[in-house]
Amino acid sequence: MALRVMIVDDALFMRNMLKEIFVRAGYNVVAEAENGEAAPALYLEKRPDLVTMDIVMPKKSGVEALQEIMASDPDACVVMVSALGQDSLVLEAIEAGAKDFIVKPFKEANVIDIVRRVTGRS
Amino acid sequence: MDMSQYRGLFFSETREHINNLNKLVVTLEQEPGHRETINALFREAHSIKGMAATMGFDHTARLSHRLEDMLDGFRASGEVSAPVFDYLLDGIDLLEGLLDDLQGNQPERSIDAFLRKQPQPPTQKVDDPAEENLADNALAVANAGAPGAVSITIETGDDKSAESPVRGAAAEEPDLFQVLVDLLEDTPASAARCLLILRELAGSGELITSKPDMASLRQGEPCERLQAWLRTSLTKQHIEEALRKISGVANVRFIDDRRQRERSSSDEAGRTVRVRTDLLDQFVNLTGELITRRYMLHSAARHQDWNELTQSLTETGRLIDDLHHHVLQSRLMPLENITGRLPRIVRDLSRKADKKVTLRLIGVDVGIDRVVLEELTDPLVHLVRNAVDHGIDKEGVVTVTARRERDLVLIEVADDGRGMDPELLRRKAVEQGLLTARQAEGLSEHDALMLVCQPGLSTAEEVTETSGRGVGMDVVKAAVVNLGGTLAITSAPNQGTRFQMHLPFSIAIIKLLMVSCGGHHIAIPITRVQRMLDLPSGEIEGSAVQRVFRLDGEIVSLWSLNRALGLPEEPAGEITWVVLTELMGRRIGLQVDRFLGHREAFVKKIGFPLNLLTGLSGATVEGDGRVVFIIDPQPLLEERQLLDQDWTPGGPDALS
Repeated sequence: MALRVMIVDDALFMRNMLKEIFVRAGYNVVAEAENGEAAPALYLEKRPDLVTMDIVMPKKSGVEALQEIMASDPDACVVMVSALGQDSLVLEAIEAGAKDFIVKPFKEANVIDIVRRVTGRS
Repeated sequence: MDMSQYRGLFFSETREHINNLNKLVVTLEQEPGHRETINALFREAHSIKGMAATMGFDHTARLSHRLEDMLDGFRASGEVSAPVFDYLLDGIDLLEGLLDDLQGNQPERSIDAFLRKQPQPPTQKVDDPAEENLADNALAVANAGAPGAVSITIETGDDKSAESPVRGAAAEEPDLFQVLVDLLEDTPASAARCLLILRELAGSGELITSKPDMASLRQGEPCERLQAWLRTSLTKQHIEEALRKISGVANVRFIDDRRQRERSSSDEAGRTVRVRTDLLDQFVNLTGELITRRYMLHSAARHQDWNELTQSLTETGRLIDDLHHHVLQSRLMPLENITGRLPRIVRDLSRKADKKVTLRLIGVDVGIDRVVLEELTDPLVHLVRNAVDHGIDKEGVVTVTARRERDLVLIEVADDGRGMDPELLRRKAVEQGLLTARQAEGLSEHDALMLVCQPGLSTAEEVTETSGRGVGMDVVKAAVVNLGGTLAITSAPNQGTRFQMHLPFSIAIIKLLMVSCGGHHIAIPITRVQRMLDLPSGEIEGSAVQRVFRLDGEIVSLWSLNRALGLPEEPAGEITWVVLTELMGRRIGLQVDRFLGHREAFVKKIGFPLNLLTGLSGATVEGDGRVVFIIDPQPLLEERQLLDQDWTPGGPDALS
């Protein structure tokens, strides 16, 4: 079965770009959220195999959303998406249980490598 | 009450008790009904329990309590059945693991699985008389001749000996690696990247420590190279593959880490050593006398009484020598501290390889500097493993001998097994591209045997899981050289192999030969100096590329220390001053500008980045405040030799 992915990002541009990368890789994008507040509930509803989570978002930050998701499902596989210069937030997210992180601007191959590694699927 | 001040003592004492437990179990296995041994075992476990409980180390206390209970049961029934030995040894290993955890400031590992397990009753082997009869005291001795049996003899310097043939199961011993991970240049959020890498490593074994450590990474310390010490039973290849999958990882390398880095740096400072109180009294007395002398010196100086001044200085010198001697004494620990593990290791290895091996320990009460001893632990274990694994075919004796030889201590590991064939080593070195056929032919027998210390040369026709001779010998040699010692190998087919390590007693204060090179004062450890020569320059022969001289009928290569150090060379005078040293069992002359004499000196370690320079082993301060670098010629010459592939010291081409 194709890998089921959920994308959390406030920018439509980023969501679309990630979605295209995932679709080309044969993954199934099952959910999208545009802020951190909506993400935890949506995660519980869809139970995706992988979440990509933007770090800086309105309403609730990616790190807070990550913490809530990890609290509800310690096995959750969440990859953070950050911009350059957000090292301390990335560290916080890794400590909170994020499996890996992608730094914008990113390359398609790089994203897929990271997804393969953290999900253990090709 | 603040218990942390007792941590150091707790660890050193508990490790001693564990050492004793191991020895006693091996002894008991030979005589399962020996009441005094059971009592001694019980007391050791009891001591650990008491200390651990006081320290609040719950798992350690519970585990030692369980062992104590079991042993108490044996005390009552007066006998121990065979399967119990493996269970006891597992328990002791687990106890050691708990100590590692505590010393590494980690939570104690789980002991539940062990506590649930009970000693396995004898299983399918009922038809095996050797197995069945083991519990029987009388027959156990007779069975010592059966395959898989080990007999272990321990002889102290005064030749007391006790023989104990034993047998048992082997324990898997995970390897300790140092992993070096380089990140791609400009990796974003490198600290977070490194944390992910450490998390991956922690998932594949026991992550002992890292540089930078977790705490500084959490603070966001940027990092381009991560150094981690990992104990794991996974293969390097497996770990490397997993690491390379991580984004941002440029390179992964492994260094076999024979120096046990288990103790975290915070523990390092708090380590303890036990000193006899009469030695401490000596310190106080000597210090008191020195204080008195100081006042006499002051007074002599004030009155400009030169007689008194000279006399007081002589006396002060004597007192300092005395103090030096006693301080060194306090740092000496018997070699027994590290040979204590050997009977257990030989027992396990022989069992695994189905061999009958006798281990003989001779003179292991000799005292060696604590630091030397610690660095020596792994090389010694490695040599003994090699001897059991490759030296001995089916049955034989491995002898570990220690004795003082002037300023050095000799530690020798010898086996009476199949020996090594220099011809085979030459061939392998050529096959594996380490030497050209011509170079191999030119090697002396000794140099050919030393090829086993070349990284990458493996001669074991079948490489066993424990060790292929050659694998790891480079590490043994590096450790010995690092300590300022030398390694020599003698061997002949079917006559066994002898590894001799000559090591300094102490490395903090050493004797140095002071020489002058290109206007600089340079110090060479006296342990590296065989002789000092002043040769008439006319006796130097050879070409501009390779100079030689004759000594005792032998042709000796001459190298300029100035050139090796990149210092200007003085024009040749009538006399050439030469320090005779040794490289790979062959004498080498080092030309210097002049000799300045020798002295005892306190060696200061050199920090980064100077410590990366080959041959620079430390520094010391002269009476006039001048800093003098200590040069170890051995690594310097070896590097020289590596750079110049066609050069073999004093080889057949030397005169051409």
